[in-house]
Amino acid sequence: MKIIDVALKDMLRSFRNMFFLMFGLGVPLLMSGIFYFAFGGLGGDGGFEVPQTRVQIVNLDEPVAEYGDFSAGQMLVEFLQTEELSDLMAITKAPDAASARAAVDDQEAGVALIIPAGLSASVFDPAGETAIEMYQDPTLTLGPGIVKSIVSQFVDTLAGSKIAANVAHERLPEQGVTVDAAILQEIAMQYSNWSFSLGEGGADALLDVRSPLGKKDTDQMVGIVGLIMAGMMIFYAFFTGAASAGTILQEEESGTLARLFTTPTPQSTILGGKFIAVFALIAVQLAVLMPISSVIFGTDWGAPLPLALAALALVILAASFGIFIVSLLKDTRQSGIVYGGVMTALGLLGISSVFTMNVPYVSPIVETLPLIVPQGWAMRAMRLVMEGGGVSDVLLTVGVMLALSLVFFLIGVFMFKKRFA
Amino acid sequence: MNNNKAIQVQDLHKNFGDVYAVQGVSFDVQAGEIFSLLGPNGAGKTTIISMLACLLEPTQGDALVMGHSILREPMAVKQAIGVVPQEIALYEDLSARENLTFWGKMYGLRGGPLKQREPLRFPSLSDRVDEVLEVVGLKDRQKGRVSKFSGGMKRRLNIGIALLHRPEVIIMDEPTVGIDPQSRRNILDNVKEMNRQGTTVLYTTHYMEEAQELSDHVAIMDHGKVIAYGTHDELVKIVGELDRIDLTISAESAQVIEQWQATEGVHQITAEDGELTLLVDDSNIVLPRLFESATQAGVRITSVEIQEPNLEAVFLHLTGRALRDE
Amino acid sequence: MRVIDLTLKDLTQLIRDWQAAMFLLIMPIVFTLFFGFIFGGSGGEEDPRLPVGFLDQDGGSVLSAHLLDLLSASDAIRPVVLEDASLDEAEKQVNDNDLAAAVIVPAGYHDKVLAGEETPLTVIADANTAVGSTARYGVETGVARLLGAVQAARLVQGETADEAFLLQTLDDAIEAWREPPLKIAERQSTAIGEGEEETMESNPYAQSSPGMMVQFSIAGLLGAANILVIERQSKSLQRLLTTAISRVEIILGHFLAMFVMIFAQIFLLMGFGQIALGLDYLREPVATLLVVVTMSLWTASLGLLIGALAKTEDQVHAFALIPMFVLSGLGGAWMPLEFTGKTFQTVGHLLPTAWAMDGIQNIIMRGLGLESVLLPAGVMLAYAVVCFALAVWRFRFE
Repeated sequence: MKIIDVALKDMLRSFRNMFFLMFGLGVPLLMSGIFYFAFGGLGGDGGFEVPQTRVQIVNLDEPVAEYGDFSAGQMLVEFLQTEELSDLMAITKAPDAASARAAVDDQEAGVALIIPAGLSASVFDPAGETAIEMYQDPTLTLGPGIVKSIVSQFVDTLAGSKIAANVAHERLPEQGVTVDAAILQEIAMQYSNWSFSLGEGGADALLDVRSPLGKKDTDQMVGIVGLIMAGMMIFYAFFTGAASAGTILQEEESGTLARLFTTPTPQSTILGGKFIAVFALIAVQLAVLMPISSVIFGTDWGAPLPLALAALALVILAASFGIFIVSLLKDTRQSGIVYGGVMTALGLLGISSVFTMNVPYVSPIVETLPLIVPQGWAMRAMRLVMEGGGVSDVLLTVGVMLALSLVFFLIGVFMFKKRFA
Repeated sequence: MNNNKAIQVQDLHKNFGDVYAVQGVSFDVQAGEIFSLLGPNGAGKTTIISMLACLLEPTQGDALVMGHSILREPMAVKQAIGVVPQEIALYEDLSARENLTFWGKMYGLRGGPLKQREPLRFPSLSDRVDEVLEVVGLKDRQKGRVSKFSGGMKRRLNIGIALLHRPEVIIMDEPTVGIDPQSRRNILDNVKEMNRQGTTVLYTTHYMEEAQELSDHVAIMDHGKVIAYGTHDELVKIVGELDRIDLTISAESAQVIEQWQATEGVHQITAEDGELTLLVDDSNIVLPRLFESATQAGVRITSVEIQEPNLEAVFLHLTGRALRDE
Repeated sequence: MRVIDLTLKDLTQLIRDWQAAMFLLIMPIVFTLFFGFIFGGSGGEEDPRLPVGFLDQDGGSVLSAHLLDLLSASDAIRPVVLEDASLDEAEKQVNDNDLAAAVIVPAGYHDKVLAGEETPLTVIADANTAVGSTARYGVETGVARLLGAVQAARLVQGETADEAFLLQTLDDAIEAWREPPLKIAERQSTAIGEGEEETMESNPYAQSSPGMMVQFSIAGLLGAANILVIERQSKSLQRLLTTAISRVEIILGHFLAMFVMIFAQIFLLMGFGQIALGLDYLREPVATLLVVVTMSLWTASLGLLIGALAKTEDQVHAFALIPMFVLSGLGGAWMPLEFTGKTFQTVGHLLPTAWAMDGIQNIIMRGLGLESVLLPAGVMLAYAVVCFALAVWRFRFE
């Protein structure tokens, strides 16, 4: 059948075209590979590798003699230097606050912790208040965040002891108890012991954390790279759609399209064959990328049936959109702008949830905005499937994708028919 | 087919807005002949070809190709013709063989028997591709990518595609533009060979020598109209026995040209790009007079070329312009 | 002089190519704004803390009310009270990403905790995501403080069975936790703005602006490298060689055009960043100039190398865009290298893009001066020399 001949010819040309091989297959794998590599995928145990933060610590705290030389500062230093925290922090003791800060300024450390003089004293002073200074490199967020959360746990223990002592100091006289230092110290000690035993129990003693229903318990790194791969695949599927449809313009300019029209082959057959090639190329692209990413990156694409639906809808939508976009162009020169500019911008917008997945609190606008472009719907479908959704979960999104496809395809066909009338 | 006419063009018009590319053109091409459309660039030749190939719809008029109307039976027309476009239209990232195979399929050729009115001519598409490769001299390079071919090789392949389905009519749109003399010679020989095998050829060109060498009939076109039509001898008779003299002079001189225009025996003088073209009764008699006038005016004649009456002269006579790229 | 003529010719061609303008200026600006907006969160007025659903099944008990107060005081999360909602509804909201997490205070929580029973709170969160982890940590801190307050109250209550006293003491402890007497004061290492402020609002464009500048300076090579390829393909280069211009001059002329183009591009993007995005690129002009010059030199050298190696426009696309992706991704243009593994960071810092990012961010984020950009500039200059040498060696005149 001539329509298949035209489609096969286009596909053969695409497979020989560096642009298709590069952008259809090479770049998505390359970019996912970079992220896979970025998050410790090579040589690691596959887990998300939290970076080790270099910390400069200065202990200006003086022990409180009347409380047995108690030094909160020293306790904190020892706590931070424990074996369990060595993966997260590399501790260096600095001689003074200025040199600790200078080390951060000179990028020799990410964080400087300056334990103030009088930390211990303020623990026992009912009116005492103080703060541990955390001086950090402004270009870092993850490391200082981890240091802060660890130090906060320690500080909260001290604060809690102090609060317990203060409250006792205020309230015990109401019970006719004469409050002295010994009593306060005893209460503080009991609180500290309780706090440390609670800490040993871990978060499980405080919280029972459950994943939301349907969310899969995936290795975080695999989950991240999987979504990146999905995003890249969608991004470049739309590129493939536009580039493949763009061969119509190329053939128009090179004269082979006009020559095709001089043969006893109906125009609908010629254009139909080209459209079939567009669909087929995207299908091939997905058929190659999905298994490869499963093997290399361990990507879990989700249950077969919803995945098949989402993938099919993606193929149809990307192809239709490509046909639609190209039908609006005058020549191949304009197509350069389309690929480089329009498709990239729309694609990035559509897959932006890939970039925001690790960003705490994303505005609803940022969450919804991708749905103004077809890539956004494709990404939504993929996410639903990859996060464990079933057919019913993905049906509405697939329906929208198919409806959009129909609109794009009809407009594209109409425009081409008009052009070649 | 009507009266053994392969092509009958009937009052074709084509406007593009205010531009009248083709204005009331009519001519007939006999089956088995080579017919040339001769005219400068922009004369409307390619527009006529495009209409006959059913790429453009006429604004008015019709044409019959092997008895099929271009308006009502475009598919039948396309099956009957093979088109060699002016620009090379090939898939450069495919090989010569792949190109021919694909285009053969577009002409309905397959491995099995053809679904054509004509009896089976060759066993399979593959065999026909082999034949055509042989004809165009690309058998050895059949697996090579077209992008690596020389210009001449591409042109030969460009022609070969039009031959695949053994059309009754081949339409060639200026196939020798911008190529070397040897390749041009090959193409002209191929055209004659095709014609010897019974194919009707409609050939457009702005090279008078080609039209002269190849054609049984010539239609001379200018500004969308056929301004003359006939055999070579019939057309040349329009300029009668006038000789054509091409001259160059050492310095521009309006005085000399004026004198020459007044000289007995000189019918027409045109000047273009420093060259003067004169139509004269008898060059042997007129030429000395021209030399004399020039000498008197202090102008030297630096080159002289005398041509027998030809189509170029006909065009010059009819339009006042030379048949060169404009 | 001929070098300048060739440079001007190239620049004229580039300016007339509005596709190139798209890549050089419009795209980096769009991407900078896009990524800055995404990573900058919702903007000034809305509460940027993570929303965490609060489902009180304990009938509005004292403890659940105190917990709500403590969670409200968190700097990481903000509770969203789910009135009359069911567990399933809370779960759905987390599932639909309307909430980062949901806390469910079970029935009898108040009584059990006061009786000293271990009573974990149910938290629905996807701990496999940063959002879920952060929300969980925020809840954990609040709960720890609540239990701490309860423990303090019980210690003070001692042996008395006076529940009213216990609750009053508990109130005191909770009140104290609103403004803990011991805390952490955060400061950022920067000379920009008020260095004495305890906390600093970080500019959300401080990553995306230099990142997109680095990325699109390479993308801009598409047009410039194409000029060389087309010159060769169209035989204009051969024609050029028939004139009095030498081969060295030809190479220098093209290189200078690329340098000027990239320099102008970076300059304009920095101007945009300075004026529209509040990034102080000009606070250390000499340092900034050094970074821009060396960045332009190395990128132009890369462009020359691409033009030398590529035979067709398609190859230019490949040779320009793939390095763009790789160098940008590995060099920290898309995300801070801090978020990546050790190996990645090491590999990244073999590349000039990482050093370009370091140099720029030393100026605009760390508030450092000329000394801090010497090493990054040196590395980029070294890359410039290597790429230029390779380009000259491989430059084909046929």
